[in-house]
Amino acid sequence: MFGYVVQRLLSGLATLFLVALMVFVIMRVLPGDAAVMMTGAGAGAISDAELAEVRARLGLDQPLPVQFVAWSAEIARLNLGTSLYTGNPVIEDVAQRFPFTLQIVVMAMLIAVFLGIPAGVLSARFAGSWFDQILRALSIGGLAAPSFWVGLLLILGLVYFFQWSAPLFWEPFWVSPLQSLSQLIWPAIAVGLRQLALIARMTRSIMLEVLGEDYIRTARAKGLAEGAVVIRHGLRNALMPVVTLIGFEFSALFGGLIVTEAVFNVPGLGQYVVNAILNRDYPAAQGIVLILAGIVVIGNLTVDLLYGWLDPRTRVRTAKA
Amino acid sequence: MAKSSRPTAFAVNRREALMLGGAALAATASAGRMARAQTPKRGGTLRVSNGGDPPDYDVLQTATYLTQFVGAPCYSTLMRVDPADYSRLQPDLAERWEVSADGKTVTFHLRDGVVFHNGSPLTSADVVYSLERIRNPPRGIVSPRRGLLGNVDGIEAPGPRTVVVRLKAPQPDFLFMVSNPFNVIYSKAVAEPLDAQGTGMKRQIMGTGPFRLGRAVNGQIYEFERFDRYYGGPAHLDKIQMFPIRGEIERGAALQGRRIDASFFFANESVLQNLRQVQGMTALRRPTPTFINLIPQVEKKPFDDVRVREALSLALDRDAFIKTVGPLAGAFFHSMGLLPPGSPHSLSAEEIKQFGGYDTLPGLGGNLEANRRRARELLRAAGVPEGFKVSLLARGDIPAFRDSSINIAAQLKNIGLDATVDVRDAGAFYTLETTGQFELVAHSVAIAGSLPDQILGEGYTSFGGRNYGKWRDDSLDTLYRQQSSELDPAKRGQLIKQFQLAFLKTYYQINLAWVGYGAAHSNTMKGWTALPDLYANMNLHQVWLDA
Repeated sequence: MFGYVVQRLLSGLATLFLVALMVFVIMRVLPGDAAVMMTGAGAGAISDAELAEVRARLGLDQPLPVQFVAWSAEIARLNLGTSLYTGNPVIEDVAQRFPFTLQIVVMAMLIAVFLGIPAGVLSARFAGSWFDQILRALSIGGLAAPSFWVGLLLILGLVYFFQWSAPLFWEPFWVSPLQSLSQLIWPAIAVGLRQLALIARMTRSIMLEVLGEDYIRTARAKGLAEGAVVIRHGLRNALMPVVTLIGFEFSALFGGLIVTEAVFNVPGLGQYVVNAILNRDYPAAQGIVLILAGIVVIGNLTVDLLYGWLDPRTRVRTAKA
Repeated sequence: MAKSSRPTAFAVNRREALMLGGAALAATASAGRMARAQTPKRGGTLRVSNGGDPPDYDVLQTATYLTQFVGAPCYSTLMRVDPADYSRLQPDLAERWEVSADGKTVTFHLRDGVVFHNGSPLTSADVVYSLERIRNPPRGIVSPRRGLLGNVDGIEAPGPRTVVVRLKAPQPDFLFMVSNPFNVIYSKAVAEPLDAQGTGMKRQIMGTGPFRLGRAVNGQIYEFERFDRYYGGPAHLDKIQMFPIRGEIERGAALQGRRIDASFFFANESVLQNLRQVQGMTALRRPTPTFINLIPQVEKKPFDDVRVREALSLALDRDAFIKTVGPLAGAFFHSMGLLPPGSPHSLSAEEIKQFGGYDTLPGLGGNLEANRRRARELLRAAGVPEGFKVSLLARGDIPAFRDSSINIAAQLKNIGLDATVDVRDAGAFYTLETTGQFELVAHSVAIAGSLPDQILGEGYTSFGGRNYGKWRDDSLDTLYRQQSSELDPAKRGQLIKQFQLAFLKTYYQINLAWVGYGAAHSNTMKGWTALPDLYANMNLHQVWLDA
């Protein structure tokens, strides 16, 4: 198991290095100039000499390999640099915003998992019934509706019917848990609906397959209660792909909240990364992409480890390889 | 634009500002105002929105309203626009001023007893430092509005409360230029060391305004507390909370849900229309010194040929532009010339009609189809083939840029140009535009102030900050300088007209429409007047809540 974990960690580090290289190159290849954005985006009479001075101050006049090595050295010291836009250390900006994004992701995934898996199991168990039909229709609707659209409908609906709009000051969870939960429930619902539909469909599909297996028939023939058959023998064996999906969606959501955060005006990572990219805030954009990549790597690693726990054959196969 | 023909005792209009000086203006100011106003109530927290987080707090280094909105309640300027009359100035830090007989020396007398938020007194050294920082910034500090003080020859402080500004030439609009809402006065003791480090005032605010910045949480809230030692007396409000809300729909929802009391910046008409239906809410739109122009890059062929540029102008149906793009971009007004709608320097119908395409403005009787036939002839004469490909650079996230470009591209197809829209994000757009890497661009140009020196100087000179088309024309620049320094109003009016006629003939920029920004507020908010200038009247000293 230890060797397996080490192998996965090394492959994660290699992934992070490649991501760092790619985001660095992409940010530099994108048309745009941090110096122009820092000096009023062309709205004033800034001379070429002044722009050159700003570039020199930021080190942007250095050759790209020199810039990359300098940045990598700072990353190795866990220093993501200073945002050109906010003037704060990137890590401070991220630390301030990350909890909101994390909370939305966790709440959305909890909604999705705790409603999606039972819905999928019931749908499969009663396949073809009116319940199954309704659930399938709803899940297709959930998949088709973009979360930002659901968010907008929620906002406008709440304003229109209840004259209620989303709060403007967001309390962190550790300051006021109840208030924080009640504030972030709406963006979590907007985002979680799609994940719910996805998980429900995946669970239904796998469960249908599993429930047709011989060992399920054997379990029923043994006289086991239907609940035990479905949950203990069916769901346990159907969970592997669902866990994979949950892990993937959990990681992907961190980078996928941009529009939803904007709609609800949540001061999370999404808005920060958009501003960073629009303003060619290289340290912030690079730093945050690296952090998001780290989250994906950790998410995948967690899923891999869960695989090992759920299915010991995975560990054996990896050890032999 | 509102115009006053009669001077009052406590304010001064643009002409009087220079010719009469500002002596004894302050004495009767409060009395006059009190007589007109309702009795304000003390206390309460006003909740307003901003369009997003300010990149930083250095108002002198910025060009964005996001920073100016945060700075305005905390800083003062030498003089400021009278909220009751946009065409007039009233004292701010300068309680009075004098202009020499030749119009080349302006002496400002500062108020006594003004203190910064840290308790240190304001002196002339602070004013000199701030104005010099605009005119000639220290190394590492940028100054987007240095052109406003381009006519300044020197600034001196002969006494602790006296500042003397020497001008290279007389400039009737100078007092308005120096009173630009962005030209705030910093504490020299605080700013100078930070400027020397190259960071400037980006991370802190130290002003003399009616409020001081308290809690500031990026992405969440900017909170201002009343500064009780404000020279004009404590503000009515206890606090202002400013929330950064990027989207207009979200701002509208926040107003409707009573999360905020006011939002000062809307372009989208449908959001305003919704708010007009809400009980207890006032939603308005006011003409603003912001114009949407089509700008050809004249260093690129075939746009170096004036016939091609004229053809572009002939192709455009400006009324259709307003009807389609207006509700999204806030473009609602036509103007007769380069100055804002209603300007005393507007051209006559006969004058504007001589320029290609402007005769189809409403009521001028032009024929769009005839214009477009003429445009095709001009393109043929200039050697531009049918189906010639042109690209319009557009910023993707702002309707005034994106939708304007889409509309223009569609209209240009009517004269045989194969126009496409090159949509970019803000970072790419501004870099490509600033460096002239485009063929055509539709730009919404927002200017603080609507005087000829402000609009023409920034928007229509080759040395102004908005010369995206990279044109050079000494005769136009000379004409601009002549009108700028002419003291005789009648002669200056003639020069301003000459400038407009000369500029329009070049088609360096082709005007499509003028923008009117919206604002909405709860009726419990009192004491705020929507001025044409988006940036003026944002210090909120006189605002109070009738809750």
